[in-house]
Amino acid sequence: MLLRVENLRVVYHDVISVLHGVSLGVDEGELLVIIGANGAGKTTLLRTICGMIDFYDGKVVEGDVKLEGHSIRSLHTTEILKKHRLTFVMEDRPVFWYLTVEENLLAAAHARWDNQVAQDMEEVYGYFPVLKRLREKRAGLASGGEQQMLAIGMSLMTKPRVLLLDEPSLGLAPLVTEELFQIIGRLNREKEVTVVLVEQNANAALGIGDRGYVMETGRVVLEGKASELLENEDVREFYLGSGEKERKSYRDARRYKRRKRWL
Amino acid sequence: MKTRSHIFIGILTAAITVLAPPTWGREIKVLSQFPMSGPVGTLPEFGMGYIDGMNWINSEGGGVNGKKITFFLEDFRYDPTVEVANFNKYCAEHSREEFLMATGYITGGLKPLIEKVNVEEKIPWLDGSYSTEIFGVEGGPSKYPYYYSLGATYGDQIKVLMKWIKENHKVSGKPRVAMVYSPTAWGKDGLPEGLDYANKLGLEVVAQIEYPYTATDATNESMALRKAKAQYVIYHGYSGATSHTAIFFKTAKKVLKDVQLMGTHYTTGRFPILVCQESYDGYVGVATRPFVDAVPRSQTPMTNPMVKMAHEFAKKYRPNDYAEEGKIKDMFLYMEGLTYALILQEALTRADKAGNLTREGIKKALDEMVWDFKGLFDGKKFDYRFHTVPMVQVFKAQVKMQKVGGKEVPTGAVKPITDWLNVNEIKW
Amino acid sequence: MDILQVVFSGLLVGMVYALLGLGVVLVFKASEAFNFAVGEFLVVGAFLFFILFFDLRFPLLIALPAGLLAAGCFGALVEKLTIQPLLGRNPISMTIITLGLASLLRASVQLVFGAHSYPFVIDLPDITLELGDMLFLSEQLWASILSGLAFGLVILFLFKTRWGVAIRATSESQAKAMAYGINARVILLVVWALSGICIAIAGIMISNFGSLTYLTAMVGFRAIPVVLVGGMDSIGGALVGGLIVGLCEAFVGAYLEPMGLIGFKNIAPYILLLIVLLVRPYGLFGTIRIERV
Repeated sequence: MLLRVENLRVVYHDVISVLHGVSLGVDEGELLVIIGANGAGKTTLLRTICGMIDFYDGKVVEGDVKLEGHSIRSLHTTEILKKHRLTFVMEDRPVFWYLTVEENLLAAAHARWDNQVAQDMEEVYGYFPVLKRLREKRAGLASGGEQQMLAIGMSLMTKPRVLLLDEPSLGLAPLVTEELFQIIGRLNREKEVTVVLVEQNANAALGIGDRGYVMETGRVVLEGKASELLENEDVREFYLGSGEKERKSYRDARRYKRRKRWL
Repeated sequence: MKTRSHIFIGILTAAITVLAPPTWGREIKVLSQFPMSGPVGTLPEFGMGYIDGMNWINSEGGGVNGKKITFFLEDFRYDPTVEVANFNKYCAEHSREEFLMATGYITGGLKPLIEKVNVEEKIPWLDGSYSTEIFGVEGGPSKYPYYYSLGATYGDQIKVLMKWIKENHKVSGKPRVAMVYSPTAWGKDGLPEGLDYANKLGLEVVAQIEYPYTATDATNESMALRKAKAQYVIYHGYSGATSHTAIFFKTAKKVLKDVQLMGTHYTTGRFPILVCQESYDGYVGVATRPFVDAVPRSQTPMTNPMVKMAHEFAKKYRPNDYAEEGKIKDMFLYMEGLTYALILQEALTRADKAGNLTREGIKKALDEMVWDFKGLFDGKKFDYRFHTVPMVQVFKAQVKMQKVGGKEVPTGAVKPITDWLNVNEIKW
Repeated sequence: MDILQVVFSGLLVGMVYALLGLGVVLVFKASEAFNFAVGEFLVVGAFLFFILFFDLRFPLLIALPAGLLAAGCFGALVEKLTIQPLLGRNPISMTIITLGLASLLRASVQLVFGAHSYPFVIDLPDITLELGDMLFLSEQLWASILSGLAFGLVILFLFKTRWGVAIRATSESQAKAMAYGINARVILLVVWALSGICIAIAGIMISNFGSLTYLTAMVGFRAIPVVLVGGMDSIGGALVGGLIVGLCEAFVGAYLEPMGLIGFKNIAPYILLLIVLLVRPYGLFGTIRIERV
């Protein structure tokens, strides 16, 4: 396993417990999908992996994050990014609004600056031709989809081996989402980037993913191959909204929560 | 019964012993206040000179006919409120019989104390203020009988400058004079007297400019002076140790070529040489003390007995501070503290000799005093009938930049260009 | 002729104020804190140069860069000790820290250097300019030239180098910058150092007009109208704000003060500031937020 999360417990502001012992693993080169409702702790999980949890005044009280067997729990984001080439793309289109598109890409390349930057930029333009057209434009004035593409383009400028994507489809039109996910799939295959994709749009995400986890209120409650999860009745019912059974009651809806899962 | 009367007598005796004023062991107490910190700068030199002077008086200097002086020193931080509060505190804590004299340093503290000092306490008060309002014709001994100034009023100082201009005007035409003064009571003090006198002498006053303390720039003021075609500029109501003075001199020297820059007591001296450097060269100023502390200090002429005494004291008691880079930036301030101690001693001694060492006795001694101030004015004597020390001298600054260790540093001094003048004797 | 003299002397001093404003704006953009210790930064910066140039007597070409470097290190040190522990917290806390810092530094400067004036004459070549009735002093021309040069270099640095891009990115969002591997801690150190250098240049130039005391810190207050008029987060605004405040002072000094309003020069920029804020709450050049619907 490339990335292992072991029994992670995370608390914000010393009192608000968000993750209650999450364990999961990511294989080299796979596209892992994590789905879950709002407040399930998905974003917290990604922040913890990439070392930004301090910045949000959170603390890991138990557990560990290991990348190729090395603990990265106590490392800063910048170190994790530089040494282990793990990049986190935050939710809500993390681009610098007042910088031009090209400057955004340069800013993202700041940490790894070398003489290949120009070449990599061309590669990003290759994946996202729309960005080339917008290169002199301020990123804040681009559309939501363009911004999300820029954000992923920026993450590519960091030359990642592992990419953590936090709800890239948020607020995007279905067609744009589809195009975006296709590119994410291509990146995973062509550039052999391991991707951890956190999504609410379970259908689209599981469609391109290899494996998936389902999270609820700070715990992993289900895991399996993406195709299996797509078939799973609970998942279908609660995330895809297309279950065959009719929902009976709220108690039933939360049924799988009580299933024990050991890892 | 007998026991009771014994107890009664015992209590009575004890009461008398405790409560009755012990006339025999009466102390001689004086209070001095100087602005040793605060917005005008750090001026610990006052205190150094004063303490050294008082210690010398009490050990070798003879005291008050052998009796020691109990002296109190306060730093009032250039704040009149503090000066007034300190004085009130000492009045409350010490009896009138022991607390005999006080000194202050600024006009701002004199004004709120008029009633307290002259009517209630009736205590002789020596002050560093040269206020024309209080010590000039309008004020004086009849109005403020217990206030004494240790210098000539600003009105007299400006008049002496006007007289100097009149006597030294070489080119044809009426001398064109301009005033630059601070927007404070200090800056405006003496101005009307000076201007009236200028008119009387036939000088033409071509500009009067208020220049604020907060200035970062004096171009406007200098250009206005240039437009007015002033030949003499009198800069009055500022300290020579401050940034705005440096700004004014640096700017004026360049904008106003061939103009004679002049000033009153506090912009004459050593500090402006250090701060304004070359732009201070040629300045003509009037002062009430011998301002001969040269840069470097070793070149100071020691002809004046008081200057000599001050330098010797400083060298002896505070060698580190006296050194060129030491805390004593201007020996004038040290000498000022010393002169305060000496005049207190003199007044107390005279009153004691007359057998009346009380506040009234001291006032009488001061009023009748004719003294050479230990040679402060090169042997000339002054009398204190108008409650001012009426001696002034006109100085001219000579500043040369010299290379020392690869850097240009200012050297020079202000040098007297007249004798000591007694303003009470001048025929105005 | 007269009015030209006033306009140009205003602009000359204004250029120095602009640089002072830039020092504040840089920090405000990056840390979101208003540096109220700007006056003390100015005095400390000027004293650092003073020590090197006047006390240790290094030649100007060594003393100036070394002094500015020291001022930069001082700025970075302040950031490291007081601002960095608060990274990611409320910027108001940082602003309040700078208030406390101002008191601390003022007292320290007084303790070390005392309260008297230090002579400050830099022997730069005399370039006093006399055109007919107009006269521009060497000190002011130099101050303006060097401040303008410094301002230009800072802008070049911010817009033409990758460090500049990283600084601007971090100024927009520390979290985003961190996520892309930009070390916000290092960037903030650089920004505070840069700000320290800008303020120190302004301080040295202003001290060269007269002399240097701890009271020179009062000039720092002029940064407030400069950045508020121009816009707290606008670099161009700092330039325009500085020039406007310089002009305002010159005009008030030349035309209003002789009418008896002595010292009005010091409050006129604030009155101007009130008017500007009433009309444009973000300042003249404050960033118009990119709003998306």
